[in-house]
Amino acid sequence: MKKIEAVIKPFKLDDVKEGLTEIGIQGMTVSEVKGFGRQRGHTEIYRGAEYRVDFVPKLKLEVVVDSDLAPQVVEVIEQKAKTGAIGDGKIFVTSLEEVIRIRTGERGKEAI
Amino acid sequence: MSLLKSPVSALQENKEKLIACFLRGGEPCFLERHAEILDDCFRESFAGSSVGPGMRMDKNPYAIIALGGYGRKEQYIHSDVDVLLLFKKRIPDEAKGLIQEIFYPLWDIGLDVGYATRSLRECLSLACRDFEVLTSLIDARFVCGISSLYSDLMEQLHGKVLRRHGRAYIDWLSERNQDRHARFGDSTYLLEPNLKEGLGGLRDYHAMLWVARATYDIREPRDLEFLGHLSHSEFQSLSEALSFIRTVRNWLHHLSGRKCDQLYFEYQVKLARVLGFKQKNGQQAVEGFLGALHGQMEFLKRQHLMFLGKAVRAKGRSGRRKATRRTVTPGIELVHDALGFESPEAILRKPQLLIKIFEQSAILGQPLSVEASRLVKEFLYLVDEKFQRSRRVIKSFQRVLVAQPHTFNVLNEMLNTGMMVALIPEMKGLVNRIQYDEYHVYPVDKHLLRTVQILKELGDARPDTQDAFYGKLFKEIRNPELLLWAGLLHDVGKSRDGHGHASQGAKIVRHVFTRMGFPGQDIETISFLVQEHLFLMHTAIRRDINDEKIVVQCARKFCDIEHLYMLYLLTVADSRATGPKAWNDWMAVLLKELFFKVYHILERGELATPTATDVVERKKKDVFQRAVSLPRKTLEVLFDQMSPRYLLYTPSQDILRHIELYQRLGQEPFLLEAQASPGTNYRTATICARDFPGLFSKIAGVFTLNNLDILGAQIYTWRNHIALDIFKVKAPPDTLLENEIWARVKNDLRSALKGELALEPALGEKVRAYRSLQKKILRRPDKVVVDNETSNFFTIIEIYTHDFPGLLYKITDTLFRCKLDIWVAKIATKVDQVVDVFYVRDFDGQKVDSSKEIAAIKEAIKETLANGSKEAKVHQ
Repeated sequence: MKKIEAVIKPFKLDDVKEGLTEIGIQGMTVSEVKGFGRQRGHTEIYRGAEYRVDFVPKLKLEVVVDSDLAPQVVEVIEQKAKTGAIGDGKIFVTSLEEVIRIRTGERGKEAI
Repeated sequence: MSLLKSPVSALQENKEKLIACFLRGGEPCFLERHAEILDDCFRESFAGSSVGPGMRMDKNPYAIIALGGYGRKEQYIHSDVDVLLLFKKRIPDEAKGLIQEIFYPLWDIGLDVGYATRSLRECLSLACRDFEVLTSLIDARFVCGISSLYSDLMEQLHGKVLRRHGRAYIDWLSERNQDRHARFGDSTYLLEPNLKEGLGGLRDYHAMLWVARATYDIREPRDLEFLGHLSHSEFQSLSEALSFIRTVRNWLHHLSGRKCDQLYFEYQVKLARVLGFKQKNGQQAVEGFLGALHGQMEFLKRQHLMFLGKAVRAKGRSGRRKATRRTVTPGIELVHDALGFESPEAILRKPQLLIKIFEQSAILGQPLSVEASRLVKEFLYLVDEKFQRSRRVIKSFQRVLVAQPHTFNVLNEMLNTGMMVALIPEMKGLVNRIQYDEYHVYPVDKHLLRTVQILKELGDARPDTQDAFYGKLFKEIRNPELLLWAGLLHDVGKSRDGHGHASQGAKIVRHVFTRMGFPGQDIETISFLVQEHLFLMHTAIRRDINDEKIVVQCARKFCDIEHLYMLYLLTVADSRATGPKAWNDWMAVLLKELFFKVYHILERGELATPTATDVVERKKKDVFQRAVSLPRKTLEVLFDQMSPRYLLYTPSQDILRHIELYQRLGQEPFLLEAQASPGTNYRTATICARDFPGLFSKIAGVFTLNNLDILGAQIYTWRNHIALDIFKVKAPPDTLLENEIWARVKNDLRSALKGELALEPALGEKVRAYRSLQKKILRRPDKVVVDNETSNFFTIIEIYTHDFPGLLYKITDTLFRCKLDIWVAKIATKVDQVVDVFYVRDFDGQKVDSSKEIAAIKEAIKETLANGSKEAKVHQ
């Protein structure tokens, strides 16, 4: 099993979600995050006062899938989240040891 | 015993029957009946007791007394049962046996029975010390045993305990209720109200009852009306509210299978169904149900607050001599920190007092008295169309709207008395209208008032707080009342069915403010704000705000910066007033980014002025008319790819030609088209190519290599990374061979792009061979300006220098080596003075804003310029 985390631009969420639904991904966790990478924060000036925008608002997507499906998921996110400009984000793939569904106690694939 | 049913099994059987009857809807007095079958059970257990008779009832009388909810005969399906075993004197040892006999079987059937065994004296001294105990005793009701003992208890409770501690008790009650309201006032409880402890929950009623019993010695709830504490219609409404909430609570106990008082999401839809709510006026059944529940709870909450406030004031004033009374404006007077009408007749003589009293309330920061609110309601029929249209009425209303917020909300009072709906009947459908999701925490009417409140708070934000920025913007607005009106009515479209509440609302407010006689311009502003109140948030979250075109399109919606300020503040207030899911720091940052970008575009005025918008629209129309061979859809897509600057500055016949070039481009790396302008000695060379960093310098280099003198250039990049480079060059000296020259240019460019032609060495030779006939003139020093303020999207580099052969190539090549990508360029030559403007971003697509980088770029360009002119001079 793999956990795929992707940090994407907020306005790309619908596209990515749609793409993932199309390939049969049913569940994902979406959280609002802030951070910066090569796309830095900047300063805005209004009437002499400075307003610092330190972090860039992004969305983080987490999807857990069977290993076979992981490359496809990555491809969809990559395709759908791309604008070609800076700040398109990153995708992280990690191996996952165990998944347990609390309600039923199912483990592994069954619990995804 | 075995032949007879035990009291407990009889209880079980009766209870089952009773519940079945309730679920069929055939038992309106379930709570009372439920308490009564419990009474029966106690009575029979007591009668059949084996221990009881040996306890010498004559010497030490005792009684079983119901307490708390059971005492009030308010027994829900899973309520617990509180009982007092009261003895006149000390508690005999046999009491334990009696308890075993009576209570143990009840526990066995899973009933939650709590009991206390006390002597009369213990009860009274405990009630003095512990007001919780006092509270449960106030509700005490005799079940069985010696009834005179119960009478003794109640007599002494009122005669001794409450006479001595009454005031402290009421203070304690009022404080405890404030705590409870604070604890349950959280927004989560609005989505999933707590029917017992929540705001407007049954506890609010109980508290009223306790206060009434402690203060006025009231026995029956009905006495509240008989003694004049509530009007007949108020008591009627109170009974209805209680009956509704009680039914809901009982159903909730049944559905959840336990003593559950919080109306969780999972039960809401089911409850709406069993209570017979139907889909109506585009509202789901559950929304109708929750709306009704909110309405009843809101009513209960208000009755509670008014009643308690009055009781606390009455108790507190008992020592003072006389009520203070002063007239604040003819017909309205201030009595004991509350505003009232001089007399009901005064209202009939002068109906405008109905709005004046709210105005005074807002100005003085004093609430309406209970009586005054009641009178407003009763006289609402005086608010007719003439009243609604009256200038003075509207002025008073507006004063309430803009008044500084107090601890209480005058607008809320206007809403609750029905005054607001009377003045703006269009708001009627919004009262207690619920939207069933986790997002909209408040009913629409409450949400609107909260929006106004938050707008005022933003406007009032202190400089050292997080909201200071909003406060600053608010103060820039010339007519803040227009913003507040828009805040009050921005969701008015939700009163109608169907989608698009923003545009529906815009129509409605037009109507409202026309009726109120507002100037046309103000009506435009309010209806604009209502129409677009979701626009900024949608753009911030759903669109790419780093795309200049998106932001320019956004900016074009605003006729001036002030409208942007207003819409921005409305967006913030609206989101905050919706609930915690609709607003957080993350969204605040996104929205602020968009605000600044739009602000800068509007402030610069270049791309988003009404004229600019007009020009672009006209061009679009023109191109669409002339490009008959292309399907409309293709044209739409292409127009969407063109940057705002390109659309503004490129004539429509050129746009047409560019579209045609682009259509032909296919898989070619580039297309070049040279045109002669009749009657001039220059040529326009248009190149359409897939953009990449360094493209511009390669083109410039190839032109210089072929002796084409560049007079000017315009570079645009479409959003799909198609570059359109338009060069003005001097006609070659020998026009006969011109076609060959252009063929060579194309060839060279193809090789250069493939990397087969190294421009630098080839040009070096060329420049040396180029014996420029430059005259010695007084040179002004070169100037390089790097501007990061004009645009949010590009760093702008301006270069002022003297022309020399290959200059443009040199400069663009330097920019490329500084890792800058050219998006827009304007190159102009006047005699030998050159002004070059480049809109650049680094290869990552970011502006260049670190001072180190800027210094390095300036240095590199200056060096290039110095070397270039030296080279040129050396060879003179």
